Amino acid sequence: MKLLKNTLTIAALSMSAFAVLATAPYKLDAQNLDNAQILHPAPDTWPLYHGDYSGRRHVHLKQITPQNVGNLSLAWAFQTNQAASIKSSPLLVDGVLYFTVPDNIWAVDARSGHMLWHYNKPTTQGDHIGQRGVAMYKGWLYFVTPDCHLISLNAKDGTVRWNQLIADVSKGYWTTMSPLVVGNHVIVGVSGDFDNLNGYLRSFDPETGSTQWQWDSTPPAGTPNMTTGGMTWMTGTYDPDLNLIYWGTGNPTPVLNGKSRPGDDPWTCSIVALNPDTGKLVWGFQVSPHDTHDWDAVETPVLVDANFQGKPRKLLMQASRNGYFFVLDRISGKSLLTLPYGPTNWATGIDKDGRPIPNPDKEPAPDGRIIAPDEGGLTNYRAPSFDPKTGLFIVDAHPSWSLYFAKAADGNYGWAGADYGVWGKGVIEAIDYQTGKIRWSHELGDGGSGAGVMTTDSGLTITGDGAGNVLALDTSNGKTLWHAGTGSGMQSSPISYELDGRQYIMTGNGGVLFAWALPESAASTKHAAPPTDK
Amino acid sequence: MNRYRVAAVLALIASGFMIYQGTERPVHAAAHGSSSGSMASASQAMQQPPAGPVDAGAISYAKHCAICHGDQREGILPAFPPLLGIQRQLTDEKLTAFIYTGKGRMPGFPKISKDEMTALLHYLTTTDQPAPETTSAVGASGSNAALHSSRLSAAGSSLFQQNCAFCHGRDAMGGETGPDLTQSKLVQGDKNGDAISGVVREGRPEKKMPAFNFSSQELLSLVAFIRERETAAASMKGNRRGVAVADLQTGNAQAGKTYFNGAGGCSKCHSPSGDLAGIANRFEGLRLEERMLYPSGAKSKLTVTIAPGKTISGTLAYRDEFTVGMRDADGTYRSWATNRVKYTVDSPVQAHVEQFPKYTDDDIHNLMAYLQTLR
Repeated sequence: MKLLKNTLTIAALSMSAFAVLATAPYKLDAQNLDNAQILHPAPDTWPLYHGDYSGRRHVHLKQITPQNVGNLSLAWAFQTNQAASIKSSPLLVDGVLYFTVPDNIWAVDARSGHMLWHYNKPTTQGDHIGQRGVAMYKGWLYFVTPDCHLISLNAKDGTVRWNQLIADVSKGYWTTMSPLVVGNHVIVGVSGDFDNLNGYLRSFDPETGSTQWQWDSTPPAGTPNMTTGGMTWMTGTYDPDLNLIYWGTGNPTPVLNGKSRPGDDPWTCSIVALNPDTGKLVWGFQVSPHDTHDWDAVETPVLVDANFQGKPRKLLMQASRNGYFFVLDRISGKSLLTLPYGPTNWATGIDKDGRPIPNPDKEPAPDGRIIAPDEGGLTNYRAPSFDPKTGLFIVDAHPSWSLYFAKAADGNYGWAGADYGVWGKGVIEAIDYQTGKIRWSHELGDGGSGAGVMTTDSGLTITGDGAGNVLALDTSNGKTLWHAGTGSGMQSSPISYELDGRQYIMTGNGGVLFAWALPESAASTKHAAPPTDK
Repeated sequence: MNRYRVAAVLALIASGFMIYQGTERPVHAAAHGSSSGSMASASQAMQQPPAGPVDAGAISYAKHCAICHGDQREGILPAFPPLLGIQRQLTDEKLTAFIYTGKGRMPGFPKISKDEMTALLHYLTTTDQPAPETTSAVGASGSNAALHSSRLSAAGSSLFQQNCAFCHGRDAMGGETGPDLTQSKLVQGDKNGDAISGVVREGRPEKKMPAFNFSSQELLSLVAFIRERETAAASMKGNRRGVAVADLQTGNAQAGKTYFNGAGGCSKCHSPSGDLAGIANRFEGLRLEERMLYPSGAKSKLTVTIAPGKTISGTLAYRDEFTVGMRDADGTYRSWATNRVKYTVDSPVQAHVEQFPKYTDDDIHNLMAYLQTLR
């Protein structure tokens, strides 16, 4: 506040040209994000891919409510003019949003949608399937490219500070993810399952870009009878008290043919807990032992502290691509609950450790196997949300059926088979985390949606359908309270923040970023001051 | 430098400005709201120039070559060839000669110093070269030799790897969710590339394939690449990843007939002498099996009550939570907000969805065997 007052005083004393600039009643903080701000994000920030370290995508904002959400309207929209869909979650730091598509970063004024700078550097190598956003630490951004570079840029103007190699694009790796900043570490994962490559997480020094540690999810390619794969392509979560990061790993390779990689194939399709300072594995829990269906377990490992069946626990929950909802004790990695949250037919049961037991008869075969869910899974990379008030874990689900084929001639490299989705639809499922039972479902129509989910303290669930509608649902019962057609599906997860007393909900639909808010008069007159925690 | 001049002017305008600067707040953060116009230009003027390449060869390349051969040496086809991997085509001596004297449309650069030439050659021939696997479509399955017979398909390959490979596989033989293009009827029947281009340009929304905004030249290159893959795949022995008709012959037709008339409930809607008569002549292999499991595109009937006692029916053309649309008997498209009207959807195809959890794999193979007898 003091800075603001100074600025206003100066403005009052200065000549008109300067006064125009300074009378805008905005905070003028430096772009400088420290560990404390990341650890305890203020309501006017979104400093991490998931908004905070817990991965809950739940905001403690209450201005937009089930009662007034009917008035929600467009505050502004930002057109990227790109064919690529926005798959990133914007970061918000000191009033500036940073978001991406492959090879591009935009810095945009969060209040107006006005562009501050644009970084655009086309790359000619690597898969351009998606870019999930930047990370930020102090005044610097961290951005990964399709050709596997980690680039540190000045948040003020997008100029490049350093550029480090994460992986070798020529071997078949590519990178898409938003790095996770923990303490003095920028933690980055890799993609690439067209080839038999080992997956890993690597930690970089935020200042110099030098490698601090690397954790390999699978042994080096060529190790006899061992799997490759286990890509680390989605941002993990972090528990500062336990000092553990939690990360989901991808499918093993060869993908559909498991014969050359007998056994469980650790640590593919797993949730792992690592020490962020050393990269050492503390525990691992395999969500899909010996996967042959491409069901990466990279979906958000959501961290919640709560009573679980009568006992206070530090929990980790994941609605996994393989169709099962998992609740783990995140201190030990031990299973507390495993239940399907939609149609699955590939497991014969649950083993004593809470892991589904894959049915060998449901491995891809020359004449085909009918499998639920399909290869895209019962959910995918867009985030779910945990609402503490109702105890609901709300996830975009994709009940679906498919045919899986593999034959000897397909070999044991890369995909090594073929699969064909037959039918699927989209449903928002609200899972009671205590029991794994579905409390309500909201149908989204044939095909499916794929939008992420966010919940608010006021009782709203924000998501999208497959037809390009943004939806605000009542978290208590799943009923639609508001919608807006945008013309393109949401390929990302919503975020929300509050600036100058006005709450914004932000969705990326196609190549356009939409900022939704209550009309300014309604926002300023009808509601009490916002809470300051988040 | 422009940025200093702007700063100086601003400093003259307002004495307080220097104090303001002293708080080390970024100038662009001030560019909020309606007053952003004047400050935005100041902000741009004060931006650092983008950090340039660090080695002299890269600087030289950026200065002399990038305008035609691309920032990343990717070329701009068909006019300007890519220079990635140029060391495999030309010796250093040849390259040096080209650069000094030019060739065809390429101008010569006789004034480049010896040191700069050394740095440029080093940059062109050693830095950041893709290994052969990168642009190779076949990965580990080998037989690279015949690939990239033309520049056009090489450009198409690059485009394909970036935009298409995730779904269709790097070799176009199928990948995550996308079909094997080398076995596609559409690809095989497309003589001049129009059909492929059309699908790429318009997408296949019903199958979740996005539309791509490629230039005609880019489309030509993609078609050339897909053609090349088609040829390569046809000459490959036993290494295809698709599903052959022969793969789907493990069922028992008699058991399939029993299932059709009994547990499967198929005969409630279908008849081997009616709608399914000759079905095996119209579809075969995987296509038939997919249609058997779920005939995508099957019509549903929408009936809307537009006034008390007055209804209108047509073919369901659109449905989400908020809007329903139909083609009526005249072929006219009509739509309604779902909260304004009463409507019903009659969707016989839903029976296929309800059957999914009930199938065994044997049921499917047997049913497939039975359908193949309906010729």
